Amino acid sequence: MKLDAATSAGDIPEGLVEPSLYVGKVTAGSLDDQVLAFPETKPPRQWYFALAITLTAALIGVISIGYTFYLGIGAWGNTSPVFWAFDIINFVFWVGIGHAGTLISAILFLFRKRWRNAIARFAEAMTIFAVICAVIFPLIHVGRPWLAYWLFPYPNQRALWTNFRSPLLWDVFAVNTYFSVSAMFWYLGLIPDIASMRDRTTSQLRKVIYTVLAMGWRGAATHWQHYEKAYLLLAGLATGLVLSVHSVVSFDFATSVVPGWHMTIFPPYFVAGAIFAGFAMVVMVLVVVRETMQLKNLITMRHLDVMNKVILAMSCIMGYSYMMEGFTAWYSMNEYLHHAFMNIITGTYGWAGWVTISCNILIPQILWFKKARTSYFWMVLVAIGVTIGMWFERFVIIVISLHQDFLPSAWRIYKPTMVDFGVLLGTFGIFFTLVLLFARVLPVIATTEVKAILPDAQPSHHGDDHHV
Amino acid sequence: MSETSYSVLGVFETPDALMQAIPKVRASQLGTVEAYTPYAIHGIEEALGLRRSPLGGMVLVMGILGAITALGFQYWISAVDYPIITGGKGAGSWEAFIPIMFEVTVLFATFTAGLGMLFLLNKLPFFGHPVLSSKSIKGITRDRYVLALEAEDEAFDSEAATRTLRDAGAIEVEALPAPDRSPFLTSDYILRTLGGIFAACVVAGLAMYFATKWFPLLKPMANMQDQPRLNAQKPSTFFKDGHGMQQPVPGTVARGYLPTATGTQEEAAALVNPLPRTREVFATGRKAYTNRCEVCHGAVGNGVGSLTAAYGAKPANLQAQQFRDYPDGKIYWAIVNGKNSMPSHAPYLSEPERWAVVHYVRALQRAQNAKDEDLKVATR
Repeated sequence: MKLDAATSAGDIPEGLVEPSLYVGKVTAGSLDDQVLAFPETKPPRQWYFALAITLTAALIGVISIGYTFYLGIGAWGNTSPVFWAFDIINFVFWVGIGHAGTLISAILFLFRKRWRNAIARFAEAMTIFAVICAVIFPLIHVGRPWLAYWLFPYPNQRALWTNFRSPLLWDVFAVNTYFSVSAMFWYLGLIPDIASMRDRTTSQLRKVIYTVLAMGWRGAATHWQHYEKAYLLLAGLATGLVLSVHSVVSFDFATSVVPGWHMTIFPPYFVAGAIFAGFAMVVMVLVVVRETMQLKNLITMRHLDVMNKVILAMSCIMGYSYMMEGFTAWYSMNEYLHHAFMNIITGTYGWAGWVTISCNILIPQILWFKKARTSYFWMVLVAIGVTIGMWFERFVIIVISLHQDFLPSAWRIYKPTMVDFGVLLGTFGIFFTLVLLFARVLPVIATTEVKAILPDAQPSHHGDDHHV
Repeated sequence: MSETSYSVLGVFETPDALMQAIPKVRASQLGTVEAYTPYAIHGIEEALGLRRSPLGGMVLVMGILGAITALGFQYWISAVDYPIITGGKGAGSWEAFIPIMFEVTVLFATFTAGLGMLFLLNKLPFFGHPVLSSKSIKGITRDRYVLALEAEDEAFDSEAATRTLRDAGAIEVEALPAPDRSPFLTSDYILRTLGGIFAACVVAGLAMYFATKWFPLLKPMANMQDQPRLNAQKPSTFFKDGHGMQQPVPGTVARGYLPTATGTQEEAAALVNPLPRTREVFATGRKAYTNRCEVCHGAVGNGVGSLTAAYGAKPANLQAQQFRDYPDGKIYWAIVNGKNSMPSHAPYLSEPERWAVVHYVRALQRAQNAKDEDLKVATR
């Protein structure tokens, strides 16, 4: 939001001038009327219809989780030697989805990518919802969720402490930090927007709620000064954090000795995969949002085009990572690693390996064409493909590596149960329910940030340009 | 413009107009100049002469504090209070603490940045500021740029302030009363809060009471509790006969318990003691003899032990010529199978222990019937 809008003046060569970030005439006032009016209008019938679907899915998840609580983890397909199965696959999958939001809100902010302003709010919200879905799994996976607080190091009558040299404990710290920092980042961004909603609403109840949530924000220059500083610092810190979180998740695997897990490439490979899956989810949701909420003038084809370019770049990184996995398996001359890799392409679960490779590497290559990058059909196809592919990638890493490790007498084929699928469906239901609710009650576009990049939003002569 | 005016707001339509007005309004020196804008305006800090935000320094300090806290906490727990050796590294190896150090550093730093900005520097939440109840606030959070002259003392001249702002180009001017800084914690407020907490406690207590009364104790994760295992004082559900521990297959031989003396004593006479006569073997034999044989056969093997009188039996006098002439195998056979009133000692003595006892009995026999040559050997 502090990005300089006045740079499109004559001193930049033709061709380097950024194309407009919105379509048609947009002013600060029209922006408010378009975006902030949403929560005040009655939701259309389609919204209730969509909510009914997502709530049904969420209900199936709640029933599946309830059955798991009633019967125990035996309700799931996890069994020796595949003790980590759907629960950890889904955990890694959902945490990964969240990474796109932080990337857009923090890393692209530091890179001064102004196109992020219009989509940052939605992506950040998706981060928080995805992490909520993710934490459900390890909580149940521990077997006795009501004792999950034992994960935290606190003085207790058992005179025990947690093991700080375990990557699983690092995960506890990383995911909790990630969730609290993302939530705060999101809320700080919302405060000025909620203040705008507070000052335009006519409903008494909404006024009270927004007043409390906005904390009495009044847009004072002294406040903005600290706010901007805080936002910059948070962006810098969240950048390091987002890279660390999925690295720590990958340590759960990389620090073990299981062939197929014990690899140094895992941290960067996991981070790239997380961003990849997250962007696909953001594209999928944004297509629906811009169509149904009439935001085509603010979330333009250009936004989707740039997002698709990121997806393409990440797809290439994933392809490189897969090749490196194969190269390492061959070059290490380690028969166990070799066997683990061959299992991915020719084993019992070889089909899963090929689903991963085709969905993550082959299908996204269509995005090299601008026509595909700006076509709903292709971008949604790629986004759905990437979501499926990235889920299967975690399946490949976890189940294929575990089901055949060093001890052939312990090898066994893993089969998920209906409860496993029910919980997975349920988290999709919870995620999209939260997305739908968010779209109706809070501003889906950070109006304050977009206002700051409109033409003439900044004074034409404001001295040196060292502001952030 | 009443006497009680605290500040005067001038509304501008563009950021350019606002920026151009700031120097003029500041030059009037009528009060503190503050701007209210819908978003952050570049360069407004310099124009208003604001000090640099100290947030960066605060975040740096708290971030370092977070790193030190995390390192100290982990080191104290893992190396001092509850030392664990993991992966063969020393209890104090700190390399594995780095991920959590990083996370805690970020946690401390981000919360300092976010909450420090809100609570410490901006002093929010504050709902009593006059700007919030002004007419201009709708514009401030939408698309208007407001410059305010705020009173520094009692002598604030709101009419001069109004004139100054108009001259600077404000399209609208509004005078505001002093901010409502009445104490937040009035006795009425505290009373209502406590009442609310009390009511919530009563409701929660009643809810818990009826929830536990109406719903039976549900066992969560039932198949983790009721595993097919053997519970104390309960029959096994796994084996048909209900026994948790099954009899070994007939003919099973335990390790170290090869059946060597199953025939008659005469047949066993041919057995040869496999143990060498070493100090360790005699020590083992002496210990086993003391524990199992001495109470009847006596400390020197003469058949007068501490139990002999009470028991009413006549244990064998191992010093008798009959037993001194026994081959090793016949003594071994007696230990394993028992003889007359003597029960079998096979369950209590392992194979090597039995043979060690045989050696020890031989030593007792020789000691009780020592010759001069033996004495010479012993004292040499």
